[in-house]
Amino acid sequence: MKDTFQTTGEYWQLMLRVFRKPEKWSVFWKQFWKESQKLIIGSLLLVFIVSIAVGGVICLQTANNLESPFIPKYYVGVMARESLVLEFCSTMIALILAGKMGSNIASEIGSMRITEQIDAMEIMGVNSANFLILPKIISATVFSPFLMLMSFFIGLAGGGLLIAITGIITLAQYIEGLQFAFNQWYIFYSMIKMAVFCFIITSISSYYGYYAKGGSLGVGKSSTQAIVISSMLILIFDLILTKLLL
Amino acid sequence: MIEVKGLYKEFDGKTVLEDINIQFRPGECSLIIGASGSGKTVLLKNLVGLYEPDRGEILYGERNFTKMKFAERKLFRKEMGMLFQESALFDFATVEENIMFPMDFFTEWSLEKKLERVNFCLKRVNLEGSNKLYPAQLSGGMQKRVGIARAIALNPKYLFCDEPNSGLDPTTSIVIDRLIQEITREYKITTVINTHDMNSVMEIGDHIGFIHKGHLVWEGSNKEIMDTDCQPLNDFVFANNLARQIKRNR
Repeated sequence: MKDTFQTTGEYWQLMLRVFRKPEKWSVFWKQFWKESQKLIIGSLLLVFIVSIAVGGVICLQTANNLESPFIPKYYVGVMARESLVLEFCSTMIALILAGKMGSNIASEIGSMRITEQIDAMEIMGVNSANFLILPKIISATVFSPFLMLMSFFIGLAGGGLLIAITGIITLAQYIEGLQFAFNQWYIFYSMIKMAVFCFIITSISSYYGYYAKGGSLGVGKSSTQAIVISSMLILIFDLILTKLLL
Repeated sequence: MIEVKGLYKEFDGKTVLEDINIQFRPGECSLIIGASGSGKTVLLKNLVGLYEPDRGEILYGERNFTKMKFAERKLFRKEMGMLFQESALFDFATVEENIMFPMDFFTEWSLEKKLERVNFCLKRVNLEGSNKLYPAQLSGGMQKRVGIARAIALNPKYLFCDEPNSGLDPTTSIVIDRLIQEITREYKITTVINTHDMNSVMEIGDHIGFIHKGHLVWEGSNKEIMDTDCQPLNDFVFANNLARQIKRNR
């Protein structure tokens, strides 16, 4: 219990240091684009592959389970759209990113901590937390909603592709289902969730990396903790945000 | 000049430094020596502000470092350079970007001027032409030299070196030692070096402070160290048979 309070206190103290005005905006923007490339562009392929596969699987499973003649065939499209937008493209993608981004951030910052690179910055008078962490948090939070959008469209395309290949329903039925009773608020709800989740992933992973200690074993431990805690918080905030926004 | 007055530091109730009083003068290589765990790294970290002393004062000239506010201390850090045990070069940056790093933050220099300064610093440490290499592509000795180049990038008044020869062969160690000494004398820098390398002590030890179990028990120069009566220092300096034999033959 004491550890939890201490960790929470340390986390917020770190965030206070992170959310300061950057010492030099030119340096900040340089880091911001670098991090955007690494965290967001670097995740595109993974998101693409997972989304296209999951879109296809959702369509296949829904079609196989729709045995009642009273349920129209286009319902496969409705189910695919709703599953993707409500949970998969935000929560599931965020859990996958917690593994990829989280371990990347925690191990990068953790290695810098144990090799005294962070101390070197501090001695120079640079706010290391602000320099290292702020660009990661901002870039991931700003651009991740677009990653969610991309995942959504690719997931739908994956479903369409599977339908075109297998012919379980017609493409016209699938498209009709995608357009049926569409609530556009769900898109914004999902984008908001994704932004919050990516804030959690980047800030939590940065925290564990920043306070890593004990050599390479410590860095490994901090990466694991970053992924576990981020994933747990993503699921908790999924519940909270769903209750608040829907 | 750096003046340490009555410095105390403890961790979890265990006293690591007790009543340390020492002065470090400009243009001199001051070495803090002592066995592993004696407290010399803690003293160095107090000097640069990575640790806060529990009691005592650290004065940089007339300025009291221990009483400086955060913003004041941040500005003051521009006058400090530090060479770390493992060099602590930024992995994500090239040699050029590493040396330019403090300039990016604390100067309004143009890119040309920064590059000019980078090339000057690299030339000073005999590493011309290595601008575009990454730290992983450098040997240990080269990394140390880039570390020195980065430390002197903003013309510091104070240079701190934590075990600068750790992990280096004796020949490279002497190159690094001499480089630090040359820079110290050339720019009248106050240099504090934390080491347990006796070669460094004999080579560049203008002023030496020996720390034993958290106490400063001896001060002198490399010329005086061989004839000291201080038993803990003798045990440290003449720890091996060869050294003891040399002492006996003197």
